[in-house]
Amino acid sequence: MSDTVQASPDAAAQNALVPVTVLTGFLGAGKTTLLNHILTAQHGRKYAVVVNEFGELGVDNDLVVDADEEVFEMNNGCICCTVRGDLIRILGNLMKRRAKFDGIIVETTGLADPAPVAQTFFVDEDVRGKTRLDAVVTVVDAYNVIQTLEESPEAVNQIAFADVIILNKTDLVDEVALATIESRIRSINAVARLHRAQRGDVPLSDVLDQGGFDLQRALEHAPHFLEDTSHSHEADVTSMSFEVEEPLDAAHFQAWIGALLQEKGADILRAKGILNYAGEDRRFAFQAVHMMADGDFIGPWKAGEEPVSRLVFIGRNLNRPQLRRGFESCRAK
Amino acid sequence: MSGTVNETMTPSLLERRGATRQLEGQITGCAIARDSGQVAFVTGEGDIMVASRPDWGRSDAWDVTTVHDGAILAIAPDAASTGFLTGGDDNALRRVAADGSVTDLVKGRRWIEHITTWCNDKGGVIAFASGRQVELRDASGQTTLKVLEHPSTVSGIVFDAKGKRIAASHYNGASMWFVQAKVDTVRPLEWKGSHIGIAIHPAGEALVTSMQESELHGWRLSDGHNMRMSGYPSKVQSMAFTRNGKWLVTSGADTIVMWPFFGGGPMGKPPAEAGGIPGVMCTRIACHPVHDIVAAGFADGSVLMADTGAQRILPVCLAGGGAVSALAFSPDGCALAFGTEDGRAGVVDLSAR
Repeated sequence: MSDTVQASPDAAAQNALVPVTVLTGFLGAGKTTLLNHILTAQHGRKYAVVVNEFGELGVDNDLVVDADEEVFEMNNGCICCTVRGDLIRILGNLMKRRAKFDGIIVETTGLADPAPVAQTFFVDEDVRGKTRLDAVVTVVDAYNVIQTLEESPEAVNQIAFADVIILNKTDLVDEVALATIESRIRSINAVARLHRAQRGDVPLSDVLDQGGFDLQRALEHAPHFLEDTSHSHEADVTSMSFEVEEPLDAAHFQAWIGALLQEKGADILRAKGILNYAGEDRRFAFQAVHMMADGDFIGPWKAGEEPVSRLVFIGRNLNRPQLRRGFESCRAK
Repeated sequence: MSGTVNETMTPSLLERRGATRQLEGQITGCAIARDSGQVAFVTGEGDIMVASRPDWGRSDAWDVTTVHDGAILAIAPDAASTGFLTGGDDNALRRVAADGSVTDLVKGRRWIEHITTWCNDKGGVIAFASGRQVELRDASGQTTLKVLEHPSTVSGIVFDAKGKRIAASHYNGASMWFVQAKVDTVRPLEWKGSHIGIAIHPAGEALVTSMQESELHGWRLSDGHNMRMSGYPSKVQSMAFTRNGKWLVTSGADTIVMWPFFGGGPMGKPPAEAGGIPGVMCTRIACHPVHDIVAAGFADGSVLMADTGAQRILPVCLAGGGAVSALAFSPDGCALAFGTEDGRAGVVDLSAR
């Protein structure tokens, strides 16, 4: 990818980690079709695939592992920190034969909340030491999605958590309906990359190697969607993005975001940001899943680029003025 | 033993009394046969490498064979005086006999992640964990004695010293079962969270599990009293009681951590530290079967031995390469075997000369 910085040591360390793609989507949305499309494409790469026991279709791959989706709650003071312990175990064992594959794809059950999977990559030191969450890819069935979103909070969460959304079965819906669907999806998650597909036929470059930390482009486009708050009511999942043009005080930001996530982490499904810390010429990429947060420097701002700090929250009951005031209070004095 | 780690002028114990060999893939485990006649290393590539006692000093004579289609996840000495059992992510349990012959014992539906065996003069038992089940077989490996079901995937299994009970760790605690019971009734030992490894006191006084939150949990088996042992900077991947049960020795810090199981401990007692390498995490430990000595492997590939009584440390192998991922003493205490994540395998002969 052109806008990742190869030269920085942080980026090099990121590249040494095995990329993990998490594939979510409601029952019948076409996850397994997309998975088989990925696996049979001519990319010359090998993937280890972790599937759930109740998969709809067979998966055509050499290295397939059945997972039980065993979730447990961490005793770390975070009230909503649930983790996929089975995934920690499976990824650890897969890393013993590291030379056999180039990446790992984890398919979740249709009804699964993506939070425990995502949190696993924050919580476990061994998982963090050897793998990185490349992207959460959510497959959406264009024909049923509007109704599914009305009926199922899990489906809303799957869209909220996505880095990439594959809007599948677009041949079953007309262009007017597609525009409505995309606008509904955007109202939940304004920063995910959205691609249309039929029978999962997306270019692999839309799904793999998304680089979870490379948020800049997505964040730049986010504000235009976000100022339109006309049809969102309080309890819905929405996206809100914020910008601060002046450099931030790193310690202030950490203190503010830490306290915010501790207090509102149950409602904040995801938070992502690219930040300009005072006295630092590199960009700082921040991300959080509920109460779990981390971040890393990802190389310098590009020539001619305004070093604007951008932050996006995806969640319920977000208070825009309060979040704006909080973020703005992190300006370096 | 010498007094300090910094004796770079003298050759290490490995150079004087050992040999190493580089393999393809990670060393995922090592074990030494019950008669102490053979050392075996297994890899993430499905290979086993066996070093027979006369060849411990000559690594070119060590025999490498592929026994699994995929990573070998577990190895244990067989429930006989010779040979090994291996389990893999090809869902198979195999026996590798002393003559190198390989027998299929199980071909199941799940990874075989844990194997442990017990035996005495009269016979033995083989136990292995696969998913939520622990299966017990007789020493031949051909007859299933029982299959024990657990509420979630089993993360570790251990026999007590007498082979009467077996315990398994999993989510929200551990389960203890009687090996010979006609009707299987579990003794549940409950503690919320993910338990990822297990050890039992040699006199059956306590059962200890390692937890995801980088701490240990214990149950006093006489009354079920809970014990918490915390303060680790990372997860405890490796732990063992010393032969007399005085200390529980663990990895998970940049020193060898030893919890006292005497004088009322470990409750209310700080752990002792038996030496280490500042800033380098201990990844594997092993307790000597005869003397008050522990061995420890570190994230930088170094291995050392320490005296649990006196503060004395003996370097076995200096830093270099990947983290130590396998470590074992032979039952007679005459050999120490270790392996690393980048495929280095070594045997050190500790016998008197």
